[in-house]
Amino acid sequence: MAKSFIQNSIRRLRFNADEMTQQQLADEIGVSRQTIVAIEKGNYSPSLVLAFRIAHIFNTPLEEVFSYDPEDDISKI
Amino acid sequence: MSYEEKENIVNIFSSLFISIGYAIIIYQKHLQGQFDLTTDFSTWGIIFLIFMGVSIVARIIIYIIFHIINTIATGKEEKEVSDERGKLIKLKATRNTYYAFSAGIMLAIIALAIGMPVYGIFIAFIVSSVISELIDNGSQIYYNRKGV
Repeated sequence: MAKSFIQNSIRRLRFNADEMTQQQLADEIGVSRQTIVAIEKGNYSPSLVLAFRIAHIFNTPLEEVFSYDPEDDISKI
Repeated sequence: MSYEEKENIVNIFSSLFISIGYAIIIYQKHLQGQFDLTTDFSTWGIIFLIFMGVSIVARIIIYIIFHIINTIATGKEEKEVSDERGKLIKLKATRNTYYAFSAGIMLAIIALAIGMPVYGIFIAFIVSSVISELIDNGSQIYYNRKGV
């Protein structure tokens, strides 16, 4: 499975938020811990709603949580 | 290993156990002459219906036992969290299941067309349904580990 071209800084944001655990974040946004693991590893690109929820938890703009690199995006036209 | 993965592995083994066990029992009855599966097609219908019932009951029992053992082993009661990723995984696994089942049915029809016995189509039904179920659980494990 190809890695996502959407990068994220959830690991760093969790660390800055009093070392919030993956389980705590998962509980806050209503997903499983495996989903957080997959997002952090870049194995899963979350929906827009979920992305906004994560940004809201860390009280930060969406662009600070997720970043998009068009150079890596081989699927774009 | 996540709860979902463990559940899928249990499903794979229980599916194999139930299907093979049931097939052996039916085949033994066929050999003993209780019914002739090569000509008595209404018996196949009864076999299918009983298999569905047996399979559902056995799975419920196996699932309860798995849940109890897992709770004792991990020391906490785990429950399946249904989120968007989980739903996407299940959706893709179901798609693969339908591909596998359709391929099985297609092979059965081809086998019928080239002169294989009619009862072969019933065997193909059972085999393809078991294989497609294994693919369903296998796909879920794959997508859980590799990403979706």
